[in-house]
Amino acid sequence: MNDPIFKLTRRKSLALAGAAILSSVAALPALAQDYPSRTISFVCAFPAGSGADVLVRYFAQAVSEVAGATVIVENKAGAAGNIAAEYTARADPDGHTVYLHAGSSTAMNYHLWNNPPIDPRSDLRGVAAINQQPFYIVVGADSPHQTIEDLNAYLREAGDNASYATSATSGRVLGAAYANALGVNPVEVQYRTGTDALPDIVSLAVDFAVSDPVQTMVNAREGRTRTLATGAGTRMQVAPDIPTLAEVGLEIDQIGWWAAWVPAGTPDDVVMKLNGFFREVLEREETQTFLASMGGDTWIGTPEEVDAMMVRSVDEAQYLVELADLPKN
Amino acid sequence: MNDLMSNLSLGFSVAFSLQGLWYCFIGVTLGTFVGVLPGIGALAAIALLLPLTFGLEATHALIMLAGIYYGSNYGGSTASILLNLPGSPSSAVTCLDGYPMAQHGRAGVALFITAIASFVGSIIGMIIMGIFSPPLAALAMSFSGPDFFALMVLGLVAASMLSSGSPLRGIAMIGLGLILGLVGRDLHSGLLRFSYGVDELYEGLPLVAVALGIFGLPEVIRNAGKIMPRKLSARDITFRSMVPTKDDWQKSRGAMLRGTGLGSFFGALPGTGGLLAAFMSYAMEKRVAKDPSRFGNGAIEGIAGPEAANNAAVQTAFIPTLTLGIPGDVIMAIMMGAMIIHGIQPGAAVITAHPDLFWGLLVSFLIGNFLLLLLNIPLIGLWVRMLSIPYSVLYPFIIAFICIGVYSVNNSVTDLYVLLFFGVLGCLMTYLRFEPAPLVLGLILGPMLEENLRRTLMLHRGDYTVFLTRPISGTFLALAFLIVVFTLWAAFRSRSIRRAARNSAAAE
Repeated sequence: MNDPIFKLTRRKSLALAGAAILSSVAALPALAQDYPSRTISFVCAFPAGSGADVLVRYFAQAVSEVAGATVIVENKAGAAGNIAAEYTARADPDGHTVYLHAGSSTAMNYHLWNNPPIDPRSDLRGVAAINQQPFYIVVGADSPHQTIEDLNAYLREAGDNASYATSATSGRVLGAAYANALGVNPVEVQYRTGTDALPDIVSLAVDFAVSDPVQTMVNAREGRTRTLATGAGTRMQVAPDIPTLAEVGLEIDQIGWWAAWVPAGTPDDVVMKLNGFFREVLEREETQTFLASMGGDTWIGTPEEVDAMMVRSVDEAQYLVELADLPKN
Repeated sequence: MNDLMSNLSLGFSVAFSLQGLWYCFIGVTLGTFVGVLPGIGALAAIALLLPLTFGLEATHALIMLAGIYYGSNYGGSTASILLNLPGSPSSAVTCLDGYPMAQHGRAGVALFITAIASFVGSIIGMIIMGIFSPPLAALAMSFSGPDFFALMVLGLVAASMLSSGSPLRGIAMIGLGLILGLVGRDLHSGLLRFSYGVDELYEGLPLVAVALGIFGLPEVIRNAGKIMPRKLSARDITFRSMVPTKDDWQKSRGAMLRGTGLGSFFGALPGTGGLLAAFMSYAMEKRVAKDPSRFGNGAIEGIAGPEAANNAAVQTAFIPTLTLGIPGDVIMAIMMGAMIIHGIQPGAAVITAHPDLFWGLLVSFLIGNFLLLLLNIPLIGLWVRMLSIPYSVLYPFIIAFICIGVYSVNNSVTDLYVLLFFGVLGCLMTYLRFEPAPLVLGLILGPMLEENLRRTLMLHRGDYTVFLTRPISGTFLALAFLIVVFTLWAAFRSRSIRRAARNSAAAE
């Protein structure tokens, strides 16, 4: 400890304190040339350690490398993401508070509350897209239904004797849209998580299930379930062999999508700079492999594309919420 | 057999890694610490450390949290014996004969025998867990809604009927717990119930805040002012004073094995657990003893049996959590929360999907118990000295730590209000002699119970008979029914015995 660098003299500490005051004063106006001027917070709507948290932390780490700034993850769990979204919308619009979440469920939430705390179209500003990941129609490995056509034929015949498992709001609305397009009325059985539903899917207690992308990939790999179709409008790069429901004549195009947002009113140049950071991370092969492991395709998009997607999703969500007959809180 | 060997070697490689050993050591040391100190228990310690484990690997996090849980059970007996004050709830029974032994100058022997009994109970409980979990998990794959529902009914009935207090109060508390379990989003409709506009209650009442409010705060408040500082000298507990006589060994050997049997059974049954097993073991020892009058005056079986029982119960409590995803008590529920946070869904798939976690945890129990033996026999003087920390210093710290622990789980101030509310309720319940455990169990199992009931009725088109016709659920419901009949019969019999005694007294 005799190294002179470690000797903190009175003069040095005064100088340090002065520098700190100066830099914090300089940080007040959000100008792109000195952005990021302090720690960036990535807001995550799920608890620390959860599957979604892993994704947010991956980007926090990668963006921190690219931007050369410290990025921390703030977990604001609860109310299906409303708490985190509202927290972001009320933060200073200087680009230091960034919300990473599924835009599809943010749009859905707007219609699930009688007094939604924010309007995602006007209170949040899109920064960058992240990925697209659909839910899938799956059956147990021992199910007699080999293809989506088999399942469709069975469901038309069985009527309300058939049943299916859902978990998560996205799963519920895809299930409702599928049944509606097919003109059938099977019984919906809900589960808290995809894992909860697994025993009943495997034992064929339910005829099929609407499964989230992560569970679909894992269970197919382990031979527990068979994936019959994707809810997306076009085939996914991550699962090129899985047909879409559109291919069998059902008009369904539902895709979950992740993106990053900042509070509305964040200056253009800050948004563009942040978009550049995300773009650089998303172009890495490592990132695309990581996103594929979560069951989705990488999506590189501009802020305008994210905003446009949100407007589209909010419109669609209204129709879907009515279709699935989801009540409002 | 080959499978078992390869699984065990996987477990050894995980648990004997440097990090595995380190977190196991931290867990059991901390567990002993909070176990020894009355007023703070494994629950508060686990809740406080939970947020700190977010950055760890899931297996290491669980090794540490589990270490706190079973470590606290070792420590709990120390205060029971020396101060007549249970350091953890399940050591309450140990006061009955442990404190008299200390008064007769046999504190050293009592501490030694409780450590040995705890070790025997834990190790046998651990072996039972290792042998029975994999087949049970395989069986659990065929569990469906009605079976889960029936098992939870059995757990709730057992918890209310067999608890140490009155069955009627137990049922009342379970009912209140089930009602509180309704708060939050209804899975089937997606509507919020009883949240009164508080969005933070979306996922239901925060379990850690409720549990610490209802168990932790009243415990501190009740003990505050009551406990007078006592002169304890660590020098009294010498190695020589710990050596049991041949007679002690002979008497406690059978008690330990019987206690382990009871503990292993009640630990694995959700809703019951260490405290009940310890009481049962005490009653059993009293019944099989040649001279029951020695009990309460320092009978060594009276500490050996219950200590073996509550430690065995702690180990087997992991069985339903890891194989069925049903937590048997509040600590297991929080442990399950820790697993979910680390991306592991508790249930039948844990053993096959995460063999490193299951077998690593199991082997860490072995290491942990050897460490605890070391901590509790040669180093006992250290813990005894700790008991002389003045409570006026200790209790404010405990309250502060409870608040920090509750806040840090969700970073939410709402949770602190919940803590406060349930702290007041807990004090009221203590005053009215209502037990908190059934309430918290109702709160934990309530949502799962409702979900499985409604799901079963959906799958079977509203047919209630499915609960009786399925062999697994039918068996569980029959067991629950038998427990109710047994409790009523026992209550009726004790009343008629009392009446007969009164009549004969009047006749004379």
